[in-house]
Amino acid sequence: MKYLIFDSGPLINFSMNGLLDLLEELKLAFKGEFLITKEVKEEIIDHPKTIQRFKLGALRLQALFKRGIIKHADITQNEVDELKTIRNNLMQTANTLFKTKKRDVHLIDKGECAALALSIIMKRKVNLDVPIVIDERTTRMLCEKPENLRKLMEKKLHTSIKANTKNYDSFKGFKIIRSTELAFIANKKNLLKMQDPKVLEAVLYGLKFKGCSISEKEVKDMIRMGR
Amino acid sequence: MEERSHILNILIKVREALVKKDYVKIKSLSNHVIHHASIHQDPDVISIAVIIYSLSKLIERESYKTEKNWSKFYNDFCKNIDDMITALKNKDQDRFHDEIIQNRKLIQGLSGRLKIFINDVFRGAKINKASRIYEHGISMEKTAKILGVSLWELAEYSGKTRIGDVNLGVTMPIIDRIKLAEEIFSK
Repeated sequence: MKYLIFDSGPLINFSMNGLLDLLEELKLAFKGEFLITKEVKEEIIDHPKTIQRFKLGALRLQALFKRGIIKHADITQNEVDELKTIRNNLMQTANTLFKTKKRDVHLIDKGECAALALSIIMKRKVNLDVPIVIDERTTRMLCEKPENLRKLMEKKLHTSIKANTKNYDSFKGFKIIRSTELAFIANKKNLLKMQDPKVLEAVLYGLKFKGCSISEKEVKDMIRMGR
Repeated sequence: MEERSHILNILIKVREALVKKDYVKIKSLSNHVIHHASIHQDPDVISIAVIIYSLSKLIERESYKTEKNWSKFYNDFCKNIDDMITALKNKDQDRFHDEIIQNRKLIQGLSGRLKIFINDVFRGAKINKASRIYEHGISMEKTAKILGVSLWELAEYSGKTRIGDVNLGVTMPIIDRIKLAEEIFSK
């Protein structure tokens, strides 16, 4: 069985853009399971259900969850316990990775670390890479170019940031895509139902403007490659 | 609060800018607080960033100023800032914290349209400051928790900014990421 893990951002993004039907089509094309952690369920369904403005989006995601389009991983209690341990270790490592003169900078939280931890556990279970869909920038930078993240923080915070570089490897090896790459695949597989040559462009910008961390240049390159 | 002197200095500058109704300066001072808030993630410092940014918006916009109780609210707000300054000068952390709570009570004590307006300003300020902290490199989830905002509103707001366009944020050539996505869906 193949698995794809979703962080909360891409699911919120698909919901806000009215693209949840596409997620169902993508799952069929993927021929595997779309997984979320308990932390992500809290962020995309349980908490927003209490906010009038986001209740509808949360209910739509809840419907997908009830139908098993997105689901929790089928793991044993021992694996749940292990997931928590790995999650906490990753969080501890990430949040002591960068230091100003006086203190560590806390970078990421439970939800993001749980997605990474689930990827590690599922990879070991199925002996296959288990990629993660993440729209937010920090976790992706931490995994793919932690030095860029250090430089960015140094520039933005106007202070020197020292890195515990030997811990960079703790975040190496995760395969990450974003909601925009899912849209690209959907377009390639003719899953975007609208018959309009601008549909890919429209979807990519829709996703960018609802929080997917992608540059204008990347969007333009994707539009060109999607033609 | 390790950064007491820095916050004190900023609040004094805010008070000076208030006299001139210089909302641009006040807005910029709120961004100075955000640099510190991103590192320290101290709830009181974060509250100060939100309070200062809200203040800049209250001065900038004219629409509230004809509302009943506006003058009293504004005067109480300014006095609250003065009391924060006094608390910090006296190195009285508990009193400073109490003054931040007092600021919230000022809004809770309002009624009618003014309460709705001011609540909207503070809500907007929270989202704006959350977006700035995310821009500084703190993750979206962490930022949402620090500011007490929903991930949904933070994603929506930050999507409209240029955060995604920073060169350092491009961590893999797009062609490679598309290849990765194709591999994921091809096996």
